[in-house]
Amino acid sequence: MVTAVTMLPDPAILLQLLAFGLLLGGIYGLVALGLTLIFGVMDVINFAHGAMMVVAMYIVWATATTFGISPLVVIPLAVLALFGLGVAIHRGAIAPIMDAPQENQLIVTFGVLLILVSAVEMVFSPDPRQYPIELGSQQVGSTFIPDGQLIALIIAIIAIAATWGFLHRTRLGRAMRATADNRQGAQYVGINVPRIDYLTFGLGAALAGLAGAVVPLFQTFDPFIGDRWLINAFVVVILGGLGSFPGALIGGMIIGLVQVFGLFFLPGSFYQVVIFGIFILVLLLKPRGLLGGDVYA
Amino acid sequence: MRERAEDLLGRVVSLRDRHLSRPMVIVVVLAVVGLMPHLRSISVAGVAPLGWLSINMLVITLVWATAAQAWNIMSGYTGQFSFGHAAFFGIGAYATIMAIREGGLSPWVGMLIGAGVAAVVGLVVGGLTFRYELQGHYFALATLAVAELLRYTFNSVPFLGEGSGFFKPFPREYGSEFGLAAFQFQSQEPYFYLIFTFLVVITAVAWVIRSSKLGLYFFAIRERERAAAAVGIPTVRYKLLAFGVSAALTAIPGAFWAMYFDTIRPDTVFAILINVEILLPAVVGGLGTVVGPIVGSFVVTPISEYARQSVDLHGLNNIIYGVVLILIVLYSPRGVVSWPARASDLVARWRSPTGGTDE
Repeated sequence: MVTAVTMLPDPAILLQLLAFGLLLGGIYGLVALGLTLIFGVMDVINFAHGAMMVVAMYIVWATATTFGISPLVVIPLAVLALFGLGVAIHRGAIAPIMDAPQENQLIVTFGVLLILVSAVEMVFSPDPRQYPIELGSQQVGSTFIPDGQLIALIIAIIAIAATWGFLHRTRLGRAMRATADNRQGAQYVGINVPRIDYLTFGLGAALAGLAGAVVPLFQTFDPFIGDRWLINAFVVVILGGLGSFPGALIGGMIIGLVQVFGLFFLPGSFYQVVIFGIFILVLLLKPRGLLGGDVYA
Repeated sequence: MRERAEDLLGRVVSLRDRHLSRPMVIVVVLAVVGLMPHLRSISVAGVAPLGWLSINMLVITLVWATAAQAWNIMSGYTGQFSFGHAAFFGIGAYATIMAIREGGLSPWVGMLIGAGVAAVVGLVVGGLTFRYELQGHYFALATLAVAELLRYTFNSVPFLGEGSGFFKPFPREYGSEFGLAAFQFQSQEPYFYLIFTFLVVITAVAWVIRSSKLGLYFFAIRERERAAAAVGIPTVRYKLLAFGVSAALTAIPGAFWAMYFDTIRPDTVFAILINVEILLPAVVGGLGTVVGPIVGSFVVTPISEYARQSVDLHGLNNIIYGVVLILIVLYSPRGVVSWPARASDLVARWRSPTGGTDE
């Protein structure tokens, strides 16, 4: 007992780690949102998701620094731009091969990733950047909550709720869920499935853009930061279950907590080893996710 | 029953690019590759069309051709699309260096150990993924997860060198001298002929597999796994065999990589991009063909290496990769090696009386 207590750090530190983990987890949920939407509705793994985040980061950064305005004001612009980019990518590269074997779409989205990241690198140089914004922090008891992460978390929760509302409370959203459920059946009842695909990929890209735009509120970024977010977003998507929004949030929380506590208690980047261990176990044992499956069904 | 099964398989395979796996075609392609260092100096009217190719670029081109040939045996022939072959490439690289450093062994022994370890890892990953019937996206993600798991493990464990990796030891540190026995040379040409030899051997293995009954079984699994199982092919066993062979052979270009460059780090040999560089030549050249990985590597690697090595074009190499990937998948999913046949089809159509202006 005594040794266990002495080995554990101060409860205040644990509380602080918990707060950081939950903040990070909410943002992971937002990052996974667009990925799980495209995966769920179109059955496409969008490897370019992280690269789309990076594009949005640089749109916000370049606009905010050029015109000397707050990055927070520019975020909607980046989201709109990414919606357009998503529709264009879908038209040029995904729509023509929607019926081809799955690996074709995977290769194509990886091609898009390479192009986007390298284009950003060539235009903006590989140097790390940060938003021109000063943010403080809140204090609750002895726990610090950085404003950047708090704003990011609030945006994440609003986005998740809004997307959920769109899918469940509007005709178009229902058509999207029907397509996710059964593409052929959706076609039979008169849903324009190719158009739903355009909307889905555009929306997925817009959500990637939103996620990308909020991440620099609490960390510096470079053209390659998308890879790190993408890989863990895959884990969140699989953990939460394909196309499941509550799942994405819960999966995000799990990964956020593992990362924050792992960084504190384990050497180096060993927490990533734990995350991939969880990932492989879930893929093998519960490939439909911890929540037991597809909530569209 | 058995005859019917083989008849069915025979028909499935005969539909696919048979001429591209004829020994003559393979020998000619390999001969051209082997002569590349000399072809560079041929000049037509004072201009050497291949003069911009350095030996270094040719070596790297053959590394990816060799790795793609190994990847193709599993992913091209049986259709189990691996997005994580960097795992086996990296194991080959690390086993070779660590055998020297920790065991005082010859790099050749290290390479064989690497191939063995890679085969075991491949069998374990395959055993688990096939046992739990992961397919398509889920299989690709699981293989990627294994490669990333290894990358972070090597990044975090002190015994494995952590993030800074290992320097390649000098030959005298393992009681040897520059030369074939040491796996190290003082000029680049011998490296070229060594990786060329590996390419020839692995291509021969690929050809033997593809033209044997084993190849028929592999392709039957790729075309229709259920039907293959229904006619009595033990599909899991053959998929495992393909995985093990492919993993072991992928470790060999990895070992070569470790002995060619000065250092290995987790973020270079296990990088996400390595997964793509391994599969790209096979996809571009022609999935499931024997000459595809070799031709494909010559289509993409030299030009992107050229871009990578020139400072003002940095980043362009990945854009080239990306554009080639997308164009091939969209417009020519059977790869560059299908172009001669497509071209002759076009010519035939043009010459035919219905559409022709000929005669």
